[in-house]
Amino acid sequence: MRVMIAEDNVLLREGLVRLLTENGIEVAGTSGNADKLLMLVREEPPDVAIVDIRLPPTHTDEGMKAALRIRVEHPDVGVLVLSQYVEVGLAMQLLGDSADGAGYLLKDRVSNIKDFIEAVERVGAGGSAIDPTIVSALISKQRRRDPLDRLTPREREVLALMAEGRSNQGIADRFVITLRAVEKYVSSIFSKLDLPTTGSDSKRVLAVLLYLRG
Amino acid sequence: MGATVSPHAFVGPNEGPSWPMLLSVATAAAVVAALLIVLALTGQDVAGPALSAFLVCWLFIPYVAAGLIAWKRRPESKLGRLMVITGFLTAFSFLVWSAQPVFFSIGNAIQFLPPALYLHLFLAYPSGELRSKGDRWLVGAAYAAIGITLLRMTFGEGDGRNLLAWFDEPEVVAILRTLQRVTVSALLVLGALRLILRRRHEGKPLRAAIAYVEDTFPLVLLMLAWLYIVQVLGWEQWLPITRWTTFAVIGVTPVLFLVALLQARLGRASVADLLVELGVNPGPAELQEAVARALRDPSATLAYWLPEFDSYADVDGRQLELEEEPGRATTPISRDGVSVALVLHDAALLDEPRLLASVAAATGMTIQNAQLQVELRARLQELRGSRVRILQAEQNERRRLERDLHDGAQQRLVALSMELGELEQRLDGNTELRKRIEEARQEVTASLAELRNLAHGIHPAAVSDHGLAVALESLATRATISVQVIGVPRERLPEHVELAAFFIVSEALTNVAKHAQASSAVVQFDTTVELLIVEVRDDGVGGAAADAGTGLRGLADRVEALGGRLRVWSPAGRGTRVRAEIPCES
Repeated sequence: MRVMIAEDNVLLREGLVRLLTENGIEVAGTSGNADKLLMLVREEPPDVAIVDIRLPPTHTDEGMKAALRIRVEHPDVGVLVLSQYVEVGLAMQLLGDSADGAGYLLKDRVSNIKDFIEAVERVGAGGSAIDPTIVSALISKQRRRDPLDRLTPREREVLALMAEGRSNQGIADRFVITLRAVEKYVSSIFSKLDLPTTGSDSKRVLAVLLYLRG
Repeated sequence: MGATVSPHAFVGPNEGPSWPMLLSVATAAAVVAALLIVLALTGQDVAGPALSAFLVCWLFIPYVAAGLIAWKRRPESKLGRLMVITGFLTAFSFLVWSAQPVFFSIGNAIQFLPPALYLHLFLAYPSGELRSKGDRWLVGAAYAAIGITLLRMTFGEGDGRNLLAWFDEPEVVAILRTLQRVTVSALLVLGALRLILRRRHEGKPLRAAIAYVEDTFPLVLLMLAWLYIVQVLGWEQWLPITRWTTFAVIGVTPVLFLVALLQARLGRASVADLLVELGVNPGPAELQEAVARALRDPSATLAYWLPEFDSYADVDGRQLELEEEPGRATTPISRDGVSVALVLHDAALLDEPRLLASVAAATGMTIQNAQLQVELRARLQELRGSRVRILQAEQNERRRLERDLHDGAQQRLVALSMELGELEQRLDGNTELRKRIEEARQEVTASLAELRNLAHGIHPAAVSDHGLAVALESLATRATISVQVIGVPRERLPEHVELAAFFIVSEALTNVAKHAQASSAVVQFDTTVELLIVEVRDDGVGGAAADAGTGLRGLADRVEALGGRLRVWSPAGRGTRVRAEIPCES
């Protein structure tokens, strides 16, 4: 798997390169700003572009704009945004009308290397990765006659992992249960929330997130 | 406490013509008019004697009458005398009707004097003096063209009454006549163009009567030019109608001029109204309106001198930079010899120095109250300006702090946690050490979360960086009640406006959570050209005090500093509604 990185902080950029390389991911290019990243992506599209949301020159929305642009111009390139904002709105903006190959993670997530590498690989394979804080904010969001009250605690946990973009196998591994058991939970959740079942994992992510967003 | 008016607003020392003088000129005019009527009815080659008699009077009497009144009323202007002379010389040109060779010759010789006089008069309006070299050249050329008449007469123009006839060359006379008519009409057209361009440059005079007077100037010149062209082309069938309409228009000019003079006299009466209005000690705006009314110049404004600010200010206390503007003029208002204010008015009013002087004098007597109010308003403006600056400085400082936190501590902590993560990964075997590193890593992650909250509290960077819509979605998601957000503006607004709106929604939702016992709330935005309106409504118990420890007081201050306002309605049992209107201009 090939990735490209746009991160202006040298310490973090080099840390990311080392971390990814050590875990068997090829870093095909790095950049300290959005323009150079866009150039690199155009020249030789990677599997994933990892983009810091705050990039020079103004350190406001340059990273986000570059990420959205890659999503539009290169639908096959996965985009993983590293952010310091816990903003549901930004995550939803990045997904747009499809969660395919899209990730929105807080920067802190890089410390849990196993989870982070999994997220990069998921996004590279066309799946999605949504930060747990975003998902938990959405799940605990107040609703009138909250339908989530009908879920068991374990079902809520499964729902959260689905929303983060994990596959049934990934959820099974996490809880050390069988794939069959996960499938049962998932179908129970979908029927309790009156959600239509969908095809791929990333379609499931978008459906669940939109449902939770209300 | 006497009000005085600065010297330049006074009328000059020239007292104008004495009454005997005026009376004798008027008598002379009456005699000339009577003689001309007789001449028209009995003279040679008069086409339509009665109509001609009327026409002579129409061209003569209004000019002399208007000229005499203007001379008396505004002796400093030469215009009045010029009009009287124009009237008499025009009258004398009708001596061509006379059977007496001497009178005929005089009348014929000055035949082309009236057009030159009109050109002179109109270009010299309103001061009576030609303003530019071009004007002087044009008028000089028009007078010089009369010389051609003498030449024509020398070559035997007319019948036996022509005393100057020396040769008898009708063809030369015809050529000279055509040459003269073409020359004079060209000069008249040039004069009309100059007047039209001058009007375009200086703008329409404020008072309608004056504007009409000025409108007739180029019209008269162009019609005269057309009359000569019709004669040159020999369009006999057009000649009578062209002549009568031209003469009719020529006479209209002084009549309109008289109307304008009369209006100025009425203006004097408006000063009396002004004095009555000043009796109630008006405020700055009322005083300005009263002055504008008295001057009959709706564009007239007052600029109050504020010694403490060392500047002029308008009626709202906003400081004014006074610059010279074409078509505008100022008249000072003084009190006890000290200049306290300026009237900024249409330059056309300089024609009426007496009106300006009396308005300024009347205003000077009662301006103190208004001036004090303006000074107070100027202080408020200053205060508001400093509130905005303080707000801006605070905002900038908070943004800087947030960025420092992000670029410094946050990034370092992320790098540190990454380092710990890698260590943890490498220590496959040593479970004890691995556990401790994982704990340390989670400590760092917890610190990062705290730091993130702290930074967000200092400055909600998502608002500045990504706009209201994004930031409000998180706010609504985090709220402890169900919140519906409607109508968030799609386009970005100035940062201080977005931040103010964000803080209002944030604070209002916090209050709803704390006090309202509500189950849901609606956040609604509305944008107009100038305003962002944000309203937060809940279905709670109401009864919230607008300023008692709700945090809304501080927000109201913030909104007011931006020139907007914040209102709270909270009737008991019927929910709470917070509405802010924030001006959008940056």
